[in-house]
Amino acid sequence: MVNDVGITAEGIWKKFQRGEIHDSLRDMIPALLRQVGGRGPRSGELGERDFWALRDVSFAVKAGEALGIIGPNGAGKSTLLKLLSGILRPNRGRLQINGRLRALIEVAAGFHPDLTGRENVFLNGAILGMRGNEVAQKLDLIVDFSGIEPFLDTPVKRYSSGMMARLGFSVAAHMEPDVLLVDEILSVGDLAFQKKCHDHMRSLTAQGVAVVFVSHNLASVAQLCPYTMVLAEGRSQFLGDTVEAERHYVSLVRAARTQTQVSLVLEDFEILDEERRPKSVFRAGEVCRLRATVRANSSFSQFSLGVSLAVPSGDEVFHTTSYRLDGSTVDLEAGQTAMLEARLILNLAGGDYTVFLQCHDYAEVPRKRSEICRFDAGRLQVPAIPEYGGVAFLDPVLDLAVRTDDGSGSPDRELRGSGGMLQG
Amino acid sequence: MARNLPIPAPGVLSDEWTIVTPRQLARAGPSARDRKTYVAETGPAGRRSHPLSAIAELVGDLREYRYLLYQLTLRDIKLRYKQAVMGFVWAIFMPLLIVGSGVLVRYAMAYLSGEQFDPAIISGLALKSIPWAFFVGSIQFASGALVGNINLVTKIYFPREVLPISATLAQAFDSAIGALALVVVLPFLGIGLSAASLWALPLTLCLALFTVGTALLVACANLFFRDVKYIVRVLLTFGIFFTPVFFEPAMFGSIGTQLMMLNPLAPILEGIRLAVVEGHDLLRSLVDPRGVVVWSPWYLAYAGGWALGIAAVGVALFHRLEFLFAEYI
Repeated sequence: MVNDVGITAEGIWKKFQRGEIHDSLRDMIPALLRQVGGRGPRSGELGERDFWALRDVSFAVKAGEALGIIGPNGAGKSTLLKLLSGILRPNRGRLQINGRLRALIEVAAGFHPDLTGRENVFLNGAILGMRGNEVAQKLDLIVDFSGIEPFLDTPVKRYSSGMMARLGFSVAAHMEPDVLLVDEILSVGDLAFQKKCHDHMRSLTAQGVAVVFVSHNLASVAQLCPYTMVLAEGRSQFLGDTVEAERHYVSLVRAARTQTQVSLVLEDFEILDEERRPKSVFRAGEVCRLRATVRANSSFSQFSLGVSLAVPSGDEVFHTTSYRLDGSTVDLEAGQTAMLEARLILNLAGGDYTVFLQCHDYAEVPRKRSEICRFDAGRLQVPAIPEYGGVAFLDPVLDLAVRTDDGSGSPDRELRGSGGMLQG
Repeated sequence: MARNLPIPAPGVLSDEWTIVTPRQLARAGPSARDRKTYVAETGPAGRRSHPLSAIAELVGDLREYRYLLYQLTLRDIKLRYKQAVMGFVWAIFMPLLIVGSGVLVRYAMAYLSGEQFDPAIISGLALKSIPWAFFVGSIQFASGALVGNINLVTKIYFPREVLPISATLAQAFDSAIGALALVVVLPFLGIGLSAASLWALPLTLCLALFTVGTALLVACANLFFRDVKYIVRVLLTFGIFFTPVFFEPAMFGSIGTQLMMLNPLAPILEGIRLAVVEGHDLLRSLVDPRGVVVWSPWYLAYAGGWALGIAAVGVALFHRLEFLFAEYI
């Protein structure tokens, strides 16, 4: 038989109601009766207080494929997962699932605090759809994977939240699905455990499981899924290559931000080299100057500008403001412009960087909320250096020798390798 | 790797993907159970094709998820006996209280009518106390079964019927302990088992069906209306006065008996008492010296009809509304 494992979603629409679902028995009983009678308001008409949580979403995932779904909060990700897992039904469209479907959603949801770890393993295994003695056979593996063996006979109410999540994931990880839904849960546990989880998911895909991975963490989606769907306001904004999707997502988030920035306008922004000539590709360790002009439409009493650099996944590699650096702020009246020139040494690993201009008003209390807005100001690139890895450029000098008894091999002389660009 | 994610166009879909209808599912056997197609518009592939199919689907689901049912029942049983003062005494606590109250009521009645209190009625009380305690306990636990597991209902898919049914099964475990205790005690109350006692078995089955059906309805209703739990609690508290637990329907005279026996639980409880205590064959009518019809074989049909009816309605309604639970809870 052809391996037709997978999910197809074709034009999925799902509506919800705002506010209390039913004010009174008078609304509710007729609505329920219509449901029971099979004439429910399932057809795709929007009622007065309804809104579409998902609109016309289509995709397909086949055996051995992993699809990432990213989007801001409220984009419809969880709704989509619930539709896929069968908890909710779509109002329009067709959804087809071929194969044993299992979901890694809220893995500790089935835990009962009064039961011990061992009892919960059996209970949760059953809730996740394992059969008969499947759990018993896998108990050792599950316990091993979770790393909480000494506490197996302790009620889980005495567990830390991390232990609970690890045990929950370990049970879930030992399901044998054909189709797997994953929601965010990889953010549980420490780094080592996360790596374990990632490896596990990759091995599942390799075994021919169709995976749908929902997250708003770009980095983990990029690690696991070659294809990604960007979901926003219930619509599929983009579906395709993950790198493309990331770009799409970042610009989407940014667009949402600039809409609120009416009180400040970024009039000019330049990326320059040490001699103030425009430049966008820098060697690691080179000096870069950023020049910005911002006009204010309202007044700010302790206004400060700052810069931040981020990698494409959105993780910030560096940021500072004039206030944090030396306490300098300016008093900005409506209509006035503020200028900033920043000098940075780009001790960065190779890659693309997004430069953000941060606008702060430190009159704001508490100070942590001082940021008024940030502009996505520009891009700069540092070509990759094959000799180095990591996220920063530390201008390394390495000296390697074999130690001999007469001490002649001791690394006390200065050895210049291929590094040392600043000195060179 | 310039592979694009395959998004089948609507017309192309059927070439790559098999559309499986429930009827095909049934034919293809268990492996095909793992195929699910949801089509929003009502159509041949929709789940709501036939009302009776709800029951067939429930049986299939329960078979598939029997391990979950077992684990949830085990959980409910364990939780009752963990960190608990009473432990297994709990299983006979409620029946004992019922028997105690019954003795008080009957003693007062005997005193007022100037008769001698007959200790033989204790066996009848004990016999009825266990099914009644089973019904009350099951419905009480089931009413909170969906709402109390809100985490599971909104997050994880499994047939939701499992939750109220496991609550009923956990209560059945308690009642089974009580019944065992009763079987040990009965000979000391002067009751010998006869062939007629076997009638208790089909009547117990009726009780089980009736209880499961009611449990499904109550659990479902409490999900949509949170006050159902309180209404149910009040009804169950006073229900003992409208159900022949403390007394026999025949005490109310001819018409009173008929009215009393309208309560679906009445023929079940009274039938069990007549069969076990009096050794009466339930296929024959029983008329007492005053001419009151204490038992008619039609009561068997009546009880059975209610049991099947409530079970069918409960399953069908629950099944239809199941996928709204996560939205309305």
